[in-house]
Amino acid sequence: MAGRGRGGKTGSLTAEQMQALGCVGKDMPQVQSAPPPTFPPLLNKPISLETTASQNYQLLWKEDFLNRMRDSPYYIISASQEKLNTSVKDWREKALERMKHKALPEFNYKAMPRELNTSSRKRRAAEPRPKLLAKKTNIEDRLKQLEQKELKSSGENENDEIKQESDSEHDDEPEDPEAALDDEMDEENDYANDYFDNGEAYNEEDDNMDDGPVY
Amino acid sequence: MSADYAHLCSSILEQCFGKVVQSVADCLFSATTRTLSQIVNSTHFSRKEVMLALAVLIKFRLVNFEPSKNNPFLPEYSLRREDVICLLRYSRYIHLVQTKYGNVGASIAEELLNAGSETATGLLLKCLSDGENKAESAETYRDTFIKMIADHYIIKIPELMTDNESEDAVPRFQTNECDFFVPPNIDLHLLAQIRKGEATLSKALDGAIVWSLNYDRFHQEFRDDIMRLAMERKLGENAAECFSFILNLIYNTTDPWQRKASNQITFVEIKQAIERKSNNLELMKFLDQYICLITDDSLGFLRKVGDMGGGQYLVDMEKAFESLALACVESVITERFGSKAARIFRVIRFKKYIEQEDLQKEAMIPAKEAKSLAYNLFQEQFIHVKVIKKPGGGGSGPAKAFYLFQIKEKDTVRMLLDNCFKSLYNTIRRSNYEKSEHKGLIEKSQRLDSIVETMKERGESDEYIAEIVETFTPPECEILKKVKHRIKTLSKAEMTLDDTIFLLQMYQHHCTTLPTGIQKFK
Repeated sequence: MAGRGRGGKTGSLTAEQMQALGCVGKDMPQVQSAPPPTFPPLLNKPISLETTASQNYQLLWKEDFLNRMRDSPYYIISASQEKLNTSVKDWREKALERMKHKALPEFNYKAMPRELNTSSRKRRAAEPRPKLLAKKTNIEDRLKQLEQKELKSSGENENDEIKQESDSEHDDEPEDPEAALDDEMDEENDYANDYFDNGEAYNEEDDNMDDGPVY
Repeated sequence: MSADYAHLCSSILEQCFGKVVQSVADCLFSATTRTLSQIVNSTHFSRKEVMLALAVLIKFRLVNFEPSKNNPFLPEYSLRREDVICLLRYSRYIHLVQTKYGNVGASIAEELLNAGSETATGLLLKCLSDGENKAESAETYRDTFIKMIADHYIIKIPELMTDNESEDAVPRFQTNECDFFVPPNIDLHLLAQIRKGEATLSKALDGAIVWSLNYDRFHQEFRDDIMRLAMERKLGENAAECFSFILNLIYNTTDPWQRKASNQITFVEIKQAIERKSNNLELMKFLDQYICLITDDSLGFLRKVGDMGGGQYLVDMEKAFESLALACVESVITERFGSKAARIFRVIRFKKYIEQEDLQKEAMIPAKEAKSLAYNLFQEQFIHVKVIKKPGGGGSGPAKAFYLFQIKEKDTVRMLLDNCFKSLYNTIRRSNYEKSEHKGLIEKSQRLDSIVETMKERGESDEYIAEIVETFTPPECEILKKVKHRIKTLSKAEMTLDDTIFLLQMYQHHCTTLPTGIQKFK
């Protein structure tokens, strides 16, 4: 059913319909086959608008408001656009722009989704990382200690040295959680230690394996 | 929402907030809701720029957000499409406040519009620090502010819910309708201390209560003004005064945005109200006749529904805006196609369905001219054709059909509204083009004005000032004058178009069931 529904209204009638409406021969309007011109000639001159005092007030206020908005921090210019603008502007315009520096935007970030809060992200990024720093200093300290110990115990037994070293390590860094975690990972909680297979049980009887593979 | 409205919104936002906000709003306009990542992907601006644009739109109450249904930690944003056009009406809001509350009220409203939303103390501080009204005391500002709240021109924004989960990814608000217009407790002593620098704004007790302009209260006033002016033009000043009393009375018992008709009021109530508040002796003397006149008028603003209490009446919003909108359509037809076309339109409207031959007879227009005018009206979708096919015919030859002209009022109004949106968009574009094309000249004249002003302040000699003024050559003056005149005409056209848009939107609200976004509280 062409010509029905919301999108089907073309605003023109078929020849038959036009005839039924009384348009015959010369009365028939020409068929439109191209889009209308962008600036068609004006058939009737529009009436001139009256200007009242209230309209004047509103016009002035509106112009002022738009200017204010353009200079406000809420008028956002993208970085690419800004670059383009600055490359075109001459020194005088740049100096003028520098003079009228924009105020900072005031947002109530508490009443907005947290993801929009740019300032909190900055703060978080600027915060020092205490753990990493602590570790860094510990490494330096430890290297010094190791150097000193090496010098002192050059003549002693190698096994004793390792023992002492491990003891001193535990004494010096009891509060460093990451180092502690490393130690744990090195010794007690080592997966390889728990599941070490020396190969002795290779030929031991295993009932489950006798039946062959199960599919 | 039509494509024309989308273009209009886009250009309005570009004018006020720049290209980034425009792109973000365009992206939101085309979808119901979008997440931040989706907006970033489709706008090709940096994440930071999009975040800033969203913050601006939220601040100016043009974007809503709520947690996603699938992920409560992920906010989804939606554009308040119907509120974007309000940016064009800011000057009207200010003018209304200025006429009602004077410069102090205008200053309060202006600060609220500039800030989007603000706490009472923060707002008064800004107003007091403004150079224009420094003579006014803080008390005057506070009283005006509270009066504006009492008159519902300023509304409280839903309060932020501050519980243990204050670190929510998406803040939640609590809405309490009874609480919207409760005046805040403004501490003038603290205000004075803050102004002196002895205290900070964070000490204010009303830090959590944020206020904003209630656009729909302004729209209610504009709507009433349209009706009042129509009444004044048709039946005179006394009838208009009587009708404004009736309107004020119905708001005691009726939601101002009730779609079809108001609740009933009695003649006695109207009489008592006028006797109490009016000094118009003529109106009091002939009140019953004036009410009869308004009731019998073809505009159909007032309808008698009973005889209790000296007569029961209601304001028929549906009929009122149907009459007004169709009068507007008729006027558009007169201006575009001439008065004969308007006559054809009227004939079709009164006959409801009419054939071509009957139409030319009824309108008393020569056949050829009537056909041409009817075709033009049909082509521009002001009138429509209804085809009635006669059943039967026995299969020999084409079935007989009758083609009747008719008016589909709702479709016509919608088409006209879209045309207005398109025209307004074109006007804004043209105005921007004129401004950018003659940017150098306009800026030069502004610079010159400021230089001359400072020279006058300094007390420089008139000759020297005249010399400086002469740097602006006569041809430049001529061009600037023309450009300014063109921009002013375009701005006036913008305002007139907005008036028509408002009237047609009111028709859509009161005469259709379409969602219009207008409600008492938002």
